[in-house]
Amino acid sequence: MNQDAFVVTVNLIKMAVIFLLMVQLVPILVWVERRGSAFIQNRFGPNRVGPLGLLQLLADAVKFAFKEEFTPGKGHKAFFYMAPIIALLPGVLAFGSIPLSIPFTLSGDGYSHTFATQVFDLGIGIVFVLGVSSLAAYALLLAGWGSANKFSLFGALRASAQMISYELALGLSLVGILLCFGTFNFSEMIAAQEVPLTFFLFGKEYTFLSFLPAWGIFYQPLGALLFFVSVFAETNRLPFDLPEAEAELVAGYHTEYGGLKMLMFYIGEYGHMMVASALMATFYFGGYTFPGLTVVGVQEFFSGTLQIESANLISIFTMLVFHVVLMTKILIFLWIFVWVRWTLPRFRYDQLMDLGWKTMLPWAIFNTVLTAVFLLLRGV
Amino acid sequence: MISAALFYGFSAFIIIFALAVLFAPNPIVSALSLAATMVGVAGLFFALGSHFIAAVQITVYAGAVMVLFVMVLMLFDLKKEDAVSAMYVRFLKISVAGVILGLISGAITLSGFASNTTIMSVDTASVTPTKKLAVLLFTKYLLAFEVLGILLLVIAIGVVSVSRIKGGTHAKS
Repeated sequence: MNQDAFVVTVNLIKMAVIFLLMVQLVPILVWVERRGSAFIQNRFGPNRVGPLGLLQLLADAVKFAFKEEFTPGKGHKAFFYMAPIIALLPGVLAFGSIPLSIPFTLSGDGYSHTFATQVFDLGIGIVFVLGVSSLAAYALLLAGWGSANKFSLFGALRASAQMISYELALGLSLVGILLCFGTFNFSEMIAAQEVPLTFFLFGKEYTFLSFLPAWGIFYQPLGALLFFVSVFAETNRLPFDLPEAEAELVAGYHTEYGGLKMLMFYIGEYGHMMVASALMATFYFGGYTFPGLTVVGVQEFFSGTLQIESANLISIFTMLVFHVVLMTKILIFLWIFVWVRWTLPRFRYDQLMDLGWKTMLPWAIFNTVLTAVFLLLRGV
Repeated sequence: MISAALFYGFSAFIIIFALAVLFAPNPIVSALSLAATMVGVAGLFFALGSHFIAAVQITVYAGAVMVLFVMVLMLFDLKKEDAVSAMYVRFLKISVAGVILGLISGAITLSGFASNTTIMSVDTASVTPTKKLAVLLFTKYLLAFEVLGILLLVIAIGVVSVSRIKGGTHAKS
């Protein structure tokens, strides 16, 4: 087969797999969200359909698929139909550029190919992710305008203002970690976090507790906090869910949506959460690596202890082990998303803007300057 | 083969949405088409291998500037604009676009670029383009970069002072 055609096919398949991965995680997250909220509020939550209420999601999906299709009479039809589809795209594109595990190699008689476990390695990683995530505002704007409903429009306008405001703090909070690692590339960043934790000051090198890895959180605690808070605002989750504040705006930008279109907005929102969690894990918690877990060690475990002989299988299993490490980190952050949502009350809109512009932005600038000064003292 | 397909695909995308910017009667459709045009231009940059410029194009123009445009347009009552989108408005839009297009293509032709066609090839494998760009920006073009920054600051202060005349958004009466 033609080399170009082969690469294009492989990338399209990977894109589809990433999309399916996101879509499959959504029902589980909805279950975690509902059971988690019930746990926090001392209720039961959905517990009738299937074991622990797990099949509730299946019932919900069937319900969504069979709901009546309706469009607002005076709305803009094209915008109304476009919005849910656009809501899905940024999350998938951003997730596709994050490395989910180490590459694996398939070889046989006459061929050998190494597959990276990310759809595209652009070299500029994070800039691309920020770019496509900023496009998510269009989905909300189109939904709000296309619905011809004042609550929808209010929600959409709030959402876009909020997303643009917090994008500044988001971008600036990342500058510190980018300065520390000196790269935009996710794979290089993860590789830089595998070494033991070392601090440089005035040309001297200090190593504390050699079992600790050089995770970004140890260098950039303030940056990590600012980043995590601003991704809450970017994903429109409580305490920043002003765009769909149900006490004021019915349901905000998706007031007029029902059935599968509504579900697509949900998938978009959870997709954003997954991207945010994956970024958090990649930047500040070592990505798919874990201290003590080396590629050679895992391969030896499979070939030595488990007596697996096929090189292809060992390669795939090793990839899966590291993927599980990253997924565990992602799921921990997703649980924090749920936890915060059911713990903190919603901001007022002026409080939201004050927090974004007068608190987060100055602290992000301070963090950037502080990091730059320390790097200068270190003498790179 | 693939690069040619990408080029023609993105070019067609850009041309279609650029025409939509001009011909759409609804200002919001126009603004959204402009955003789509920006995404198309970013796609062309991606196809050329300059990923950083492409991503910045999406972040700044499609993701921030055009979102603000669309947001401000949505705040207006556009029923009147829909009604008066008569022939003369469209004629005005198209003629202005034609004049600007003519000026730009004239400038390119007269500047001798067209006659002197040496195709520059970028060695994408060996260099890290982002680093090269940053070094150029902070050494050779440092003055222009800083002056542009100051210009933007002046614009921001000017906008704030203009909007605060007579109370601006905080008017009491």
